[in-house]
Amino acid sequence: MMSDVYIAGADMIAFGRYPDRAYFQLGAEAALMALDDAGLSIKDMGAVYASSVFNAQSMLGQKMLKEIGQTGVPCINVSNACASGATAVREAFVAIKSGLYDAVIAVGAEQNPRGMLGGAPPFGPPPEGLFGSESMPAVFAEAGMVHAARYGTTVEQFAQVAVKNHHHATMNPKAYYRRETPLEEVLASEIIAEPLTKLMCSANVDGAAAVVLVSERKARELGMGRAVRIRASVLASDPYEPRNPEMFDPNSVTRLAAAQAYEMAGLGPDALDLVELHDCFATAELLHYENLGLCGDGEAGRLIDSGATALGGAIPVNVSGGLLSKGHPIGATGVANIVEIVEHLRGQAGARQVDGARIGLAHVLGFGAAAGVHILEKA
Amino acid sequence: MAADCTVKARPAHRIVRIAEDGRPRIEAYRCENCGAVTDSQTMACRACASRKPPASFGVGRTGKLWSWSVVHRSYPGVAVPFISVIVDLDDGLTLKGTLRGVDTSGLRQGLPVRLVFDDAGGAHDKEGVPYVGFHFVPQGDA
Ligand SMILES: [Zn+2]
Repeated sequence: MMSDVYIAGADMIAFGRYPDRAYFQLGAEAALMALDDAGLSIKDMGAVYASSVFNAQSMLGQKMLKEIGQTGVPCINVSNACASGATAVREAFVAIKSGLYDAVIAVGAEQNPRGMLGGAPPFGPPPEGLFGSESMPAVFAEAGMVHAARYGTTVEQFAQVAVKNHHHATMNPKAYYRRETPLEEVLASEIIAEPLTKLMCSANVDGAAAVVLVSERKARELGMGRAVRIRASVLASDPYEPRNPEMFDPNSVTRLAAAQAYEMAGLGPDALDLVELHDCFATAELLHYENLGLCGDGEAGRLIDSGATALGGAIPVNVSGGLLSKGHPIGATGVANIVEIVEHLRGQAGARQVDGARIGLAHVLGFGAAAGVHILEKA
Repeated sequence: MAADCTVKARPAHRIVRIAEDGRPRIEAYRCENCGAVTDSQTMACRACASRKPPASFGVGRTGKLWSWSVVHRSYPGVAVPFISVIVDLDDGLTLKGTLRGVDTSGLRQGLPVRLVFDDAGGAHDKEGVPYVGFHFVPQGDA
């Protein structure tokens, strides 16, 4: 019988700017922290999964091992847009599930380029402005405007996501922005692409995070006290949508991954105690409330207004501060979301601890598209 | 359109086709099995995986606004603000483009718009050949 898969170690470096350190050093540091957390050594790891977007072709994993020990094991470098980190964790999950390994590590590390992140120029004149906008803020603004047009969602409701997540980040010492931003300030900050202001866009930072995955046998050997069981590990690619790819659809791929994850875990959204979802922009968080089934279609505006998704509410979302304020080092994001859930399930999340958390969900969305959903449970 | 009549202009966007007589048009592809419409000639249908390649068809120029964003900050050097829009063309293809000639207070889902070919901001390639692009205007406008 195939064994369950457990997270035995999880940690991340503080997200921020590291101009004097290399991306693989950030990854190596996170890896050592997660190994220490598990009480294991790099020599115990049967395989290494390393995730990055901007350094995907650089052999990140091997460079990391040159910092912490070249053990000669398989090292798989993963890139899958903003879902890269979740993809590395999912590959690690599959590796343990297969029975080939008793312990593997997944590491996400990134040094983002500065400025607005966007696509490469194609042939002909630069398309930006001539053929609408390909910038990520515009893409997620347009996705939000569809929701606003259909359900009457307001700019204030989108902005409340930023107010909430910035508030959460004040309780997370590893978050980049740790400052309250009242609604008036969010609305008054620079308009990037309506309805998004600067404070409704994710923080562009460097970062790294790592998790150590083990078999049930290994988890018992280490002691189940701090173990977290992976109830679901799902990755989806985007199904055909009539408006794709001219209009990026963040919804269908997330719904596909969520449905499979709930089925694999044998539970529904009402069983969740907390959620870390891909709030790359404030509009996205409201869309994902519905995509992940936290509320019915059209109810996301009312859900944020109710306070249910704030710490202390019925289903706290992004208590880490989310991508908006903890930060979004692309290849590390999907691993860091899982680290946050693990800290809550262990009761180690400090001031932002979700009381009595037993089950949590981590979601990421990659442009292009990929969605990862993990459901974790206190063992 | 300010194209040099002795030189055939080049498409500034992959969706634009230039006929032998130099006239631009928009071409899309429809699966004969499931009806899915795409903007490129794929090897099989991306919706139903039918191995019969989707057939090309000429797309009309009228459509309706599906979504939009008034863009105030873009990449360095890009003139702002402009209105980025998603338009559902009446023949089934969806296109992203820039909407001109409308006050932002008039933006609403379902607004009837028309595709207009243009000179892609006056761009030329390195041999001096002009480009053909497009934008959208509200229906009824020239
Ligand atoms: Zn088809």
